[in-house]
Amino acid sequence: MIPFELVEPETLHEAVSLLDADDPGVRPFAGGTALMLMMKAGVFQPSRLISLGRIEERFSMISVGARGELRIGAMVPLSTLEYSPDVQSAYPVIADTLRTLANIRVRNVARVGGALAHGDPHMDLPPVLSVLGAKAIVIGPGGSREIAVEELYTGYYTTVLARNELIAEVIVPAPQTRYAAYLKYTTRSAADWPALGIAVLLDSDGRMIRDASVVISAATERVTRLRHTQEILNGKAIEDTTLHRAGEAAVAETMLVADARGSMFYKQQLLRVCIGRAVRMALANGVGK
Amino acid sequence: MSISDRIPAGTFGSSPPRLESYAKVTGRAEYTHNVQLPNMLHGKIFRSSIAHGRIRRIDVTAAKALPGVHSVFTAADVCKLVPNPYYGPAFHDQPILALDKVRYVGEAVAVVLADDPHTAEQAVQLIVADYEELPAVFDEVEAVTSATFVHDELKPAKTFADLKHLAGRSNTNVIVEFKLDRGDVKNAWAAADRIFEHTFRTPMVAHTALEPLVSLAEMNGSTLTIHTASQMPSFVRIEIARLLGWPESRIRVKVLHLGGGFAAKTYIKLEAIVALSTLLANRPVRIAATMEEQAYVIASHATTCRIKSGVNKAGRVIARQCDVWWNCGAYADVGPRISQKSGFTAAGPYDIENVLIRSRGVYTNLPLCTGRRGFGVPNLSWAYESHTDMIARDLGVDPIEFRRRNLLREGKEQATGTVMPDDSIAQVLDRLAERMNWSAPFERGHGVMRYGRGVAVGFKAVIAPTTSVATITINADGSCILNISTVDMGQGSDTVMAQIAAEVLGITAQSIKVSHPDTDLTPYDMGTVGSRSTFHMGNAVKLAAEDARSKIEALAREIGLTKGSNYPWSELFHRRYGMQAGNIVGMGTFIPPYAAPSSESGHSANVTPYWMVGGTGVEVEVDGETGRVRITKLITAADCGALVNPRIAETQLSGAAIMQIGYALFEKMDFDGGQLTNASLADYNIPGMQDIPLALVSVFVEGDQQGGPFGAKGLGESGTFGVAPAVANAIHDAIGVRLINLPMTAESVLRGLHKIQGRQWGDE
Repeated sequence: MIPFELVEPETLHEAVSLLDADDPGVRPFAGGTALMLMMKAGVFQPSRLISLGRIEERFSMISVGARGELRIGAMVPLSTLEYSPDVQSAYPVIADTLRTLANIRVRNVARVGGALAHGDPHMDLPPVLSVLGAKAIVIGPGGSREIAVEELYTGYYTTVLARNELIAEVIVPAPQTRYAAYLKYTTRSAADWPALGIAVLLDSDGRMIRDASVVISAATERVTRLRHTQEILNGKAIEDTTLHRAGEAAVAETMLVADARGSMFYKQQLLRVCIGRAVRMALANGVGK
Repeated sequence: MSISDRIPAGTFGSSPPRLESYAKVTGRAEYTHNVQLPNMLHGKIFRSSIAHGRIRRIDVTAAKALPGVHSVFTAADVCKLVPNPYYGPAFHDQPILALDKVRYVGEAVAVVLADDPHTAEQAVQLIVADYEELPAVFDEVEAVTSATFVHDELKPAKTFADLKHLAGRSNTNVIVEFKLDRGDVKNAWAAADRIFEHTFRTPMVAHTALEPLVSLAEMNGSTLTIHTASQMPSFVRIEIARLLGWPESRIRVKVLHLGGGFAAKTYIKLEAIVALSTLLANRPVRIAATMEEQAYVIASHATTCRIKSGVNKAGRVIARQCDVWWNCGAYADVGPRISQKSGFTAAGPYDIENVLIRSRGVYTNLPLCTGRRGFGVPNLSWAYESHTDMIARDLGVDPIEFRRRNLLREGKEQATGTVMPDDSIAQVLDRLAERMNWSAPFERGHGVMRYGRGVAVGFKAVIAPTTSVATITINADGSCILNISTVDMGQGSDTVMAQIAAEVLGITAQSIKVSHPDTDLTPYDMGTVGSRSTFHMGNAVKLAAEDARSKIEALAREIGLTKGSNYPWSELFHRRYGMQAGNIVGMGTFIPPYAAPSSESGHSANVTPYWMVGGTGVEVEVDGETGRVRITKLITAADCGALVNPRIAETQLSGAAIMQIGYALFEKMDFDGGQLTNASLADYNIPGMQDIPLALVSVFVEGDQQGGPFGAKGLGESGTFGVAPAVANAIHDAIGVRLINLPMTAESVLRGLHKIQGRQWGDE
């Protein structure tokens, strides 16, 4: 690690102004749990780091908006999100997901904004917030823009965010009466990065599946919505043949990536099996309030 | 009364808190990583990027020119001080820095010393090496017949008589071939009713001690002091003294607490580089490996084991042939020892009339290997306990019943000819069967989740012949200091040694201070390896304490006290010397009887001072759709001798078992053209809390270990023998899939399942 400049601005706008659209050595950090590992491994050598630790308090708050939407400041620690009564009652799938994310020490330090901006496809929050229809409010030098979380990612560790843009807030729309689940499948130690992550959201009268939303991660280069799989599920009865067909459709419409957690063929098998499991898991999880 | 209150004997067998526990939980325990030396430089190592090649040129100009860099050294500099800079415990084959050739990706080629580690690291990036690349060999079986030779000639160290005949041999990658012939295997095949043959493989795995390797050195007058996280301070002193041509007294090796060892911190690791750097730079130097770098300094052996058995109609194994190839990596390190000392147990803990073992250590262009908790026995038990189960199931005999028919029982000769002194193998198996409730029906399931159970037993000889020396000092106020070079790396040796001394002296363990190893002050010990300390150092400590006790008694007689008087020790000193003055020093030296195996037949009448015996029973849940295996119950039973400290013994057994869960299911160093691709803990997984079965049970088979201090013996590795094969046997029990290669990943399980279902797997 070579010495670098560390700046601790006190406002978000100041932080944005300190970023540099053209210099990859200038980067913001929130909790730093991912960036510090990259620096230790020598993968990233900063010229300037901008700590977001001192920006306005409101970016560390969780609130419920007028239309029942959940507004999560980008600097909210993951553990705060995990234990928020609003999250636990309205979005139990988020709290459930966080309980399996890294460990308590990481969750106490890592922030929601960083967990979305990092772009590692193995992370758990992006598929879950994508399937819930969450939007990120992004601030840049020219003002703010709104990007659906599922549209943030362009590839492996790459996002649509410019180098001088920051996620300020995440808005999760008010929950409808829906079933949700995140199935995290690890193939080595239980604490490993997942080989496959599947987030599902759906409605049902107990017999038929409606409005299914399926987003996968970890086995793909980036967070990926399975549109054809959704079509297969919608309007079909909850039974093994439907789930089996959905699994086949999921395999047919995705390009999976081999790594130390499994070959492409093995991950296809996982996907084939786990789509149905994730749907069943969502139905078993019950209805969020 | 004095500090050491005299109490009746009885500390032995109780579980007093560990001596270092308060310091550890309050963050005050001393580790080498925290050692700061005045004016010290930080070293970082430039490593080879190719697996095999001749060094044409190393350009260090830009690195030297970087501000903050003090110096950059290569082998050429080392040779100015050490003309023959090769070291190693069995072979003198490893250069301090790569000389003429590099033999694996990650080999140390140059060292940069700078004011801070970051500058040193930056300077390392500026070094350019030009190599003439040579063909490389990675597989231990291919290396035997390969035309690529990792070393031009074999260089056995003179310390081992049985290796002398290898000196100067060239055009071979075979470091050593241990041979054992018992009975007449060739003719026995004809008498067998059935013959079974299988080949099993294990990958290179990492030790992953959570404290990575770290060493510092400084000159104090004419003495070179080395502070190092080492399991072998005495060896470090001897080997560095040999390299420099200095007397041992001019090298001082100091060791603090270790954050784990598992045999990674044995022999010479960073000590030679740090010593030479200090001498060349004339400044104190610290070199700390990162977790990722550690994997380039040391790994542990991959193995191929081919095992063939002949079984008669009664279900008795009458002949067994074992061919073992140990992938030692680029330097021998402990390879020749492991090939022999674990090699002679390759046929397993069974009573077999005809045995033939060929156990070869082989050079390859991979990181050098050393033992790893179990010293090769887990590699072998993986083969013989999977093989044994396969035979039993093929014959339709219950696997425990089949083992009982064939076990090596009390009074029977092990393959080397050494007589098994007790029936602990049978007792371990009996206790496993009992705790597994083996005779009761077992529900294997019908749906996606299937359930299975399996057992495995194993045994290990202790490294021999080895010596331990202890001194115990009784101060004039009656307080005690135990001086030993045993390294407490978390296994609790300080507490155990204090308990042994306390038992003899009739005081509490807590009242004894156990010094950290410091070769100027603590006497010789071969090393804290191979579960040898409780037995070897324990005996030395017992002798030292007995010596001190007899000197106290002599002192009491001298001043006219009645025999058996309860006078405080401080009074004895005060009466004798007229004030608080004087010392009593007790000393003990221990080396157990041993007979080396014959180099022709492998026979020995006394091949080990004691056997370690352990077994594992597991229940698993197998996901028939994804292949994921969850261990739901894990029972470890081991012969623990007489327990010194039951609480520590329990953590040794369960800790060994947990470590092996990773070995069984997912640990593997991945290489691509000799380049390790999963050096970090994010990519190289080890078991975490959630991988530990809810039912984790340790069962002690207690016996009186003849020759052990108060009947005690080592048990740090006994929990490692059975885990992987027991899991394999349980997977087979659950779904009928037999795995022969470690690790048993979810993918390999599912692939096996598809195979027996006649389904296509990908492009295969």
